Amino acid sequence: MSARIRIERAGPLCTIQDLGRPGLLAHGISASGPMDRSAHDLAGAQVGTADDASVEFTQAGVDVLAEAGEVPVGWAGGAFGVRLNGQPLSWPGRCVLVAGDQLSITPGPAGNYGYLRFDGVLDVPDVLGSKATSTRARIGGLSGRALQAGDVLDFLSGSGRPAAEGPAASNVNGMGPIRFIWGIHAERFDPAVRRTFVEMPFRVTAAMDRMGVRLADEKAVFAGASILSLVSDPIMPGDIQILGDGTPIVLMRDHQPTGGYPRIGTIISADLDRFAQIRPGDSVAFAPVSVDHAHRLLRSRQV
Amino acid sequence: MEKFSEQPLRGDDHHWPDLPQILPLGDCALLVRFGQSLDEAANRAALAFATRMQSDSIDGVSEVVPSLVSVLVRYDPMIIGPVRLAGELGLRLTSGNAPETARVQHVAVRFDGPDLDEVAALLGLSREAFVAAHNRSGLRVLTTGFAPGFVYCGFHDSALNVPRRELVKPRVPAGSVLFAAGQTAITATEVPTGWHVIGHTDFRNFDVDQNPPTRLRAGDQLIFEVVS
Repeated sequence: MSARIRIERAGPLCTIQDLGRPGLLAHGISASGPMDRSAHDLAGAQVGTADDASVEFTQAGVDVLAEAGEVPVGWAGGAFGVRLNGQPLSWPGRCVLVAGDQLSITPGPAGNYGYLRFDGVLDVPDVLGSKATSTRARIGGLSGRALQAGDVLDFLSGSGRPAAEGPAASNVNGMGPIRFIWGIHAERFDPAVRRTFVEMPFRVTAAMDRMGVRLADEKAVFAGASILSLVSDPIMPGDIQILGDGTPIVLMRDHQPTGGYPRIGTIISADLDRFAQIRPGDSVAFAPVSVDHAHRLLRSRQV
Repeated sequence: MEKFSEQPLRGDDHHWPDLPQILPLGDCALLVRFGQSLDEAANRAALAFATRMQSDSIDGVSEVVPSLVSVLVRYDPMIIGPVRLAGELGLRLTSGNAPETARVQHVAVRFDGPDLDEVAALLGLSREAFVAAHNRSGLRVLTTGFAPGFVYCGFHDSALNVPRRELVKPRVPAGSVLFAAGQTAITATEVPTGWHVIGHTDFRNFDVDQNPPTRLRAGDQLIFEVVS
């Protein structure tokens, strides 16, 4: 059961992702992969999946046309509108695309990233072991670039994982502050700065992409707290670095491999997906937790 | 204005490189730091530790990333906890340096960069004298970072120290040979840079069709050869 779909409309930074290519940081390449991994998984659970590839779309959504064959497709992530040939369907959800079908994902009330998963093997070459598009290294996906109108994706038949039994629901869209572990340079910051960092809200700005999310420091928490002359260290997704002018930036999946700005904290793995979905203009608060606590949260996710 | 914590820093420059710090970096990695500033001893200690980690692996460790003066150790918290891992790392810190034979790599460079004359003038040297001094330095690859295949190479004699440029160039091509802060760097992709562009090379330290995708590794000795 092979199929072909055509991208008829793609919002900015719509990319092919999969579980990414971890293990290459020593070569200067970050792992990439879905900005919201749990939503990527949830989209896959809606439908059987023959591989780990997804189409990650952003707030503007995406329109696809099935050109040939048929392929089951599942969707999830944030809250978007979805129509199959004009008929609204539920979010998250699934359908089988057959030749001539038009699937339209439109902006919705919540989230920055959504995912389409397919029960077919996406016919795109692996680059360094992954189909994930790295917008920084310009590798993976279609020639290392974002998807655009006119792009064609072919799916080969493959025996995949079955769909989840019953309705698969997201269990990660919790509320409350984004939890973090004090960073590798936390003790370089004045204690008063560290205290206000966890007391004051920040605002997510529109300066966001797969590499990082710039925050507005409206309470001037980091005004005058600039720390210079650090030697670069490797970076992990979720690192919160403070630029010389006091601007906080959270580094995301396509992060630079190394960085020399001071890092006050690192968002815990269990909260990074939720952080990625916070929209520009919304406020975000940070709460410190221990590494132990972060691991307990990860273990509770696995059941 | 630089502000520091009232609490003592976890590190103390005077004890390096004898007492490396082991710090959590998020919930899936530890950072082992061998110094607070970039120097030869801290860089060599970090590379030696990374080499020991490769040859004496620990269950649950998924990635070891040597950097300028630190080593990132990524782990799977479902397999090993940070306390036990830190203990394992400690054992590998105290075992002696594995004798390592550095690989020697030759890089052919056209010293034709737009900033070459400016750099030579800053140092009070002729173009030829600067190139000769540059190539005499006997550089090592200190680390790969910043961008795919981008290598930092050091260290030049302190007499060759020039600061970075005031303005960042938005992009320089792959194969640019950069110079600043007592180091030479080679780009493998198009990148922005605040360093001086002193030359170009056909050597590309990044090829997605190769495994590993880069040819230079931290610790390699570099010999620059002048081509025209």
